[in-house]
Parts: sequence; C-alpha cells; structure tokens
Amino acid sequence: MRLTQGCFSFLPDLTDDQIYKQVQYCLANGWAVNIEFTDDPHPRNTYWEMWGLPMFDLSDAAGVMMELAECRRVYGDRYIRISGFDSSHGWESVRISFLVNRPAQEPYFALERQEVAGRVVRYATRLCPSREATP
Amino acid sequence: MNAHAGTLRGKERYRSGVMEYKRMGYWEPDYVPKDTDVIAMFRVTPQDGVDPIEASAAVAGESSTATWTVVWTDRLTAAEKYRAKCYRVDEVPGAPGQYFAYIAYDLDLFEPGSISNLSASIIGNVFGFKPLKARRLEDMRFPVAYVKTFQGPATGIVVERERLDKFGRPLLGATIKPKLGLSGRNYGRVVYEALKGGLDFTKDDENINSQPFMHWRDRFLYCMEAVNRAQAASGEIKGTYLNVTAATMEDMYERAEFARELGSVVVMIDLVIGYTAIQSMAKWARRNDMILHLHRAGHSTYTRQKSHGVSFRIIAKWMRLAGVDHIHAGTVVGKLEGDPNTTRGYYDICREDFNPMKLEHGIFFDQSWASLNKLMPVASGGIHAGQMHQLLDLLGEDVVLQFGGGTIGHPMGIAAGATANRVALEAMILARNEGRDYLHEGPEILAKAAANCTPLKAALEVWKDVSFNYQSTDTPDFVPTALAAV
Amino acid sequence: MLDLQCANNSSLCGGAASPPSGFDLRKEAEAAGITETLRELEHELIGLKPVKSRVRQIASLLLIERIRQRAGLVSSPPTLHMSFTGNPGTGKTTVALRMAKILHGLGFVRRGQVISVTRDDLVGQYIGHTAPKTKEILKKAMGGVLFIDEAYYLHRPDNERDYGQEAIEILLQVMENQREDLVVILAGYGERMTNFFASNPGFRSRIAHHIEFPDYSEAELLLISELMLKERGYSFSAAAREAFVNYIALRMTQPFFSNARSIRNAVDRIRLRQADRLVSDLDRMLEIKDLETIDSSDVLASRVFSASPPGEGREPSERTS
Repeated sequence: MRLTQGCFSFLPDLTDDQIYKQVQYCLANGWAVNIEFTDDPHPRNTYWEMWGLPMFDLSDAAGVMMELAECRRVYGDRYIRISGFDSSHGWESVRISFLVNRPAQEPYFALERQEVAGRVVRYATRLCPSREATP
Repeated sequence: MNAHAGTLRGKERYRSGVMEYKRMGYWEPDYVPKDTDVIAMFRVTPQDGVDPIEASAAVAGESSTATWTVVWTDRLTAAEKYRAKCYRVDEVPGAPGQYFAYIAYDLDLFEPGSISNLSASIIGNVFGFKPLKARRLEDMRFPVAYVKTFQGPATGIVVERERLDKFGRPLLGATIKPKLGLSGRNYGRVVYEALKGGLDFTKDDENINSQPFMHWRDRFLYCMEAVNRAQAASGEIKGTYLNVTAATMEDMYERAEFARELGSVVVMIDLVIGYTAIQSMAKWARRNDMILHLHRAGHSTYTRQKSHGVSFRIIAKWMRLAGVDHIHAGTVVGKLEGDPNTTRGYYDICREDFNPMKLEHGIFFDQSWASLNKLMPVASGGIHAGQMHQLLDLLGEDVVLQFGGGTIGHPMGIAAGATANRVALEAMILARNEGRDYLHEGPEILAKAAANCTPLKAALEVWKDVSFNYQSTDTPDFVPTALAAV
Repeated sequence: MLDLQCANNSSLCGGAASPPSGFDLRKEAEAAGITETLRELEHELIGLKPVKSRVRQIASLLLIERIRQRAGLVSSPPTLHMSFTGNPGTGKTTVALRMAKILHGLGFVRRGQVISVTRDDLVGQYIGHTAPKTKEILKKAMGGVLFIDEAYYLHRPDNERDYGQEAIEILLQVMENQREDLVVILAGYGERMTNFFASNPGFRSRIAHHIEFPDYSEAELLLISELMLKERGYSFSAAAREAFVNYIALRMTQPFFSNARSIRNAVDRIRLRQADRLVSDLDRMLEIKDLETIDSSDVLASRVFSASPPGEGREPSERTS
C-alpha cells in the first residue's frame, strides 16, 4: 500500500533537490524544521520519533539535508517525514509536513469490524506487514 | 451633510405626539463611538423626498429604543444611553440616492453570546420600515468585550489540521451527486471512491436530510463504512460531512450523537436551521471534539442584492462568533456569485485574527477577533482541477476546495476524478513553495503533472474551456468592478 | 547535488545551455556587487593596503572563475576556504563580512550569512557532546561563511584526548565534501596559526587563500580615532590631538595592545572622562562646542600616561583613571 500522508504523497517521491527546495521554503518563512521517523504509520499515530531537536535559525537547507542523510543512513527502512513548525501567535503548530523516505516494502492496514446492535459496526485499523514481504 | 439636526432635550423631548427621529437623539453627529460600542453600517435608500439623515436616524431608532411616537416610559430608563446613535451619513460613491449610515449601539443593548438577540436588534424590525425604499446591513464592528462572550469556532483551522494530520495545502472535498435520489448503499459507494481516490472529505448536500429514498441512519452507516475503508486503504484520516439538519433540535442532537458514536470527525448543518440552533450545535461540537461544517443554504435570498438585505460579510462574522468550523464563502472562479475583492474580504474575516479596515474589500471597520479560533472557508460550486493555480492564488492555503462535479463527473470514474484533483493540488503547492510563478505557469505545471497521471490528463481535457465569467452583483463600492481573471 | 548555486539572481546565473561567446567584465562585476563591496571596504577600513589588494585579487580570481565556469572551461567547484592571520583589532572580522558579500554576490555561497565562532562554540565538555555541537554550528553556517576566530585553540597538542580533535575531524570532512555549501575562514595570530597549520596539514591543504593583516601604523591609528570620534559627533582640540598622538605611541609599547580595538576602547573612555569633566561644573552654561570637543585633559588622564610599569596598562584595569 502506498501511504498517502503528508503534502506530496500523490506525486512521485521527491528527489533530494525537491526536498531541499521545500525545506528552504520553510526556512524562508522562519519555521523550525523537524525530522521524524517511524515504523508505525497508523493514521492516529501522532508522535513519530524525533531525529534530534527541531532545527531553529538555519539559513540554508543544506544543514537539514545533512541530518536527513544521517537519519536515512540509520533508519532508511522506515518512514521519515519533514515538517515545518510556525511558532507565531494564532498558529503555534505544524505548517507543512511531507514524507521524505519510505520503507522498500510498505505495510498495509487491515480494517477489522465488530458488529454490534442496530447494524452499527465498530472499526479498528490494524497495521500489517507488507504483503510482498511474505515469501 | 453631517450637520447637527438639533436634538431636543428635557421637557420638549418628551411632549406627547410624533417627532422626527433626528430630533429624538438618534442623530448625534458629534458622537464619538466608544471602544465598547457595537457599530453597524447600513446602506439606506430613502423614499423620494425623505431626508437621508432622518431616514438614517429612523434606522437607529427602530433598531434600538424608539417607536413611532413619543412614550413617557422612556423617562423611567437611562434612555440616552440605550438610544442607538447614528453619527455619520455618507453618500455612496457612484450610487445616487444611496447613503452609508453609521450607527453606534451601547454594549448593554445586547445579551452576551447570543446571535439571535444581536440580529433581532440590528435587523429585526426595520427592514420593512416604510420611509425607506431599501436597506442593507453592510458591515459591523464588534468590541472585544462582546467578541469574548462568544465561544467561536468549535475546533478552528489549526486544531482541525492537527486532528486530521493534514498541513500545508488546501483540503479537498466533494459534494455527493446527484443531490437527491441515491439510496444509502449507492451513496456510500460514491463516498468510498472519492475518499480512496485522494479527497480528504466528502459532503452531504444541503437538502440531504432524511427522505423516502434514503433515511438518515442508513446514510450514516454506509458513509462511515466508506470512510473507514478509505482510511485503511490510504493510511490517511478521512471525513464525510454528515448533514444533521432536521426539523427539531431533538432530532439534530440524535443524529449528531449517532455520527459521533460511529466515529465521524465532522458533522454538518444548514444555515436555515437558525442562529439559535447553530449556536447549540457549535456548543455540542465543542463538547464532542467534532468539526462543524455549515452550508450557507438560503443566504443568497438576502445577501446577493446590493441595495437590500444583509451582506454575506455580516453572516461570516456572525458565524465566526456563533462557532462553526467551516463556512462556504465563495470560489470567485466557480458557478456561484463572488467578486474577487469582496470574496477576499469574507476570507479575511474567517481566517485573520485582526481585520484592518479595507474599503476595497468591503471591510468598513477594524475588527479584532481576540484570539477566537479561525474559521475554515469552503470553496464550492463549478470548480475543477484545471483552475488549481487560480484557486490557490485567490483563496490561499487554508480553505477546503470542493470539487463535486469535478470529481464525480470525471470520465474515468470517481476515484480517478479525486486523484486528478489531489495530484493537481500537490503539484501546484510544490511549485509555489519552490518559488515558481505558479499563477502564470499554472497550465504548464498542470500539464507536466498530468504526464505522470492519466486521470489529471483526462480532467484537463474534459473541462479545459469551462469558466463562469459573469459580472458579479455584490461588488465593493470603492474600486471598479473586476472580472475574475480566467 | 543541488542546483541552487545562484541564489541572488545576478546576471551571472545565466542558463547553462550554451555558453555565451563574450563577457562584459564591468557589467559582470557590477551585477555581482563586487565593485560596490570593494568600495565599501575601501571607505570602511583605514590603511590595510596589502589586505585590500589581496581581497581585490581574490575577488578578481573568483569573478574570472565564475565566468570560466559559465564558459564551460571548469566544472568542479573551487576550494574557497581561507585563513586570516594578524594581531587582534586589525580588521579580520570586518573583512570576513565583506568577503562573504563578495562570495554571495558571485553565487559561490547561497545565503551569505557569517557565523562567527570560537572553540567554545564547537567543542564540548564530555564524551558525545562535541559532534552535535559542531554540527549545530555547521548547519547554521550552511549557505554562508563560518568564521572561526583563534582557530588554533581547537588543537591542544599537549592533550591527545582533547575533544577539539573531534571537531577538527568533522570540520575537515565538511570542508572537503560540502565545498558548495559553505566557506570556512580560520583566523588568529600569525605565528600561532603557522604552528597550527604545521601540526594540522589537513587544514593547510584545504585552505586556498591566505590573507595577512599587518598592524596599523601610528598615523593610521590616529586617523581611526578621529574617524570614530567623528562618527560619534566629537572632535579633538589641537592639544588633545597632540596628546592622543603620544597616547598611541605609549600604548603600542604596552601589553595587550590590539590595534583598532584598543583605539575604540580608548575613545570610549575619553568620552566618559569628557562627560565627567563637564558635569563636575554644574553652574556653567554649556555651548554646543563644549559638548563636541575633547580636551587634552580628557586624554591625559589615562593611566597609560602614569608611570605604571609595563603590564599594568592592561585593558580591563584601565577603565577608571
């Protein structure tokens, strides 16, 4: 399954040059840039692991690309996302977020149903290992 | 024209009989509005031969303390405080016979946190007042003290984005078509296809409630099956605006509770349910962590004509106070009424924490929103993927773009229609962030994205010549009317 | 990796498709802002003739290099790291700022900011502390110039396990592999820098340009003092000027003399003493001229003139006198 979280998941995976430009856009807006990774991309998994602290006060995206390269070296088999955080009043939240790394074989989600009274169904979304991975 | 009319004082003022409004204290050109006053600005068109000052004073009188004749019971009150005061009357540029009347109301005239009370005062009685041919409420200024008595949007743009985990781009939606006639089972199919294809939201139309072809409970159950399936298929959070509009408050609560029980992130209401019901639902939405979508059904009956009625900017302001999270606010380029500058004014009212006076956008007052949540505008009606660059330029990033026909009418199917829209949007955001001149290079950017995406290619081909380029009726008075650039 | 060399829209950032057949050198230099930057440098810094001519040379080299790149004569990015050697107060930081502007104007760095650091900003206190600290600074300097003052403190020859070595290794790696991303300028006293390069050949081989900053002459220091006073709206009386000539001659022989920086400190203290003198007589009417003029007494009260033996003329203790 192709996970479509983030701002650009319906486009071909971004090249480093494209990622650089998006990060530079964040820096130009004065946003802090954060790198996070996870092996659990459940839609309700809000807190991915942080790769160090958010990067404040950078001038050029090359610094972020340096960290991204390092993060990929260690966690290249996981999802990695970059986000830009805006601390200005009235926002104080993420302003952009996009995937920059996917595992070679992506997991998928199974939908589990529990039927209860009145035709109501309780749903649970469960992460499953990639179908391709099984020999 | 703002000369003093000579308010009568003391015994003279309370002599029984009929008296000109402007001499009863409703015309006070020297009055300086207090920071705590509510201010309303009306466009008045007096009957032939009626003095515009007297007409404006009458509006002030009839929307506050006055009646047609002098009453001695005024003297049992602090009447001078409670009288609304018309303090300025201007000729409308380029519109002979029309006047802008500015009226200040003391804060004590209003019940805290009640749009119904506010609207009953400001537009309650006077719209049928005989000495005026026509009258329109153009804009209002609310003091911070009054703004703070309202809840404001139940969720707000920031928390909505956090809850949906969607940042940095407009959200995408589609209204299920045909509006009427689909069974619950077939309706859910459209929801599933559209969400799986890449939309964030689907939407019930304003008149989808509980009809013989599809009762509400059946719709909710099938829709939530579709939402959960699409969520699992994409790994993204999805939603469908379940319209809970119904005949009674009890029915609406029942439907909303059921939507909550099924795990929906959003419910929907129509403007026609009335201000009290809207505020009740806003409070319910805040209590239940629910996004509240408002369809502005019916508004054009009173917002569209420039000389009479209520401007939509007033409705937008009232709705931000009342506490809905989404409001349809125009597309500019689509099939429904919407001058670019006037629409820009509506969007600013929804999304900014402070609106500076901007006459060219139809904003007549500075307005502080005192950290009230931001309200997500929704653009819906006759828009398609080929306009993505214009939509982004005109409407910005914090908006829901609803492509109903532009999704469901796609030649390759609903999911393909949704994908086309999502790809077009993401390509445009990517290009914008890279610093490209996306407004002018838009068609080129779309064509390049379409090279990797057959659905987008098909969409651009089918709707390439569609635009709705008509003169708007509700345009600002302070700039020449502009056609949307298409 | 990145095709963003040309961050500032100068005309030098033409398309790479087909190289133009001719180049208008004056236009190229002006478009890159070099002419203007060199003029600023000329006005900003008194004296320093050899430094200015070195900067001019380097700017010319970079300009030609850029044009050669466009003409397709060279492909690999040049090494641009530099060393600035000289005593304190000889204008190294100011020249670094101008150099960053030149590099930015020509598109050799993308943003042009200067991050100025010393050992303490790069080297940590415990194991695992240094690498993140150095990287933090490097990330901030990306796209600009990293100015490392008194760079030799990074290297402690007496302590093999000093954490400075870790910072040095990271720096060398980035200086080699990310030449398009930043330019490093190492600065410090001449002699100590020479020793530093001798024991760290890795740095020496990565430095393309050396600039030596000579001490100022007495006449230049006097000009500097007068310029500083003028900027602050003061001027010497004839007697004060003469006193300050003597002051310079004396001060230069004393320890911790640091060229223009010592002059700036002296000027600040002279202003204090002038104010003190004026306020000590509250009953007189002041004229504009009184407010503007530095008297010889304001200069002569300095401890530099007292018979104190060498060593007591040090900067910190001189603030009262």
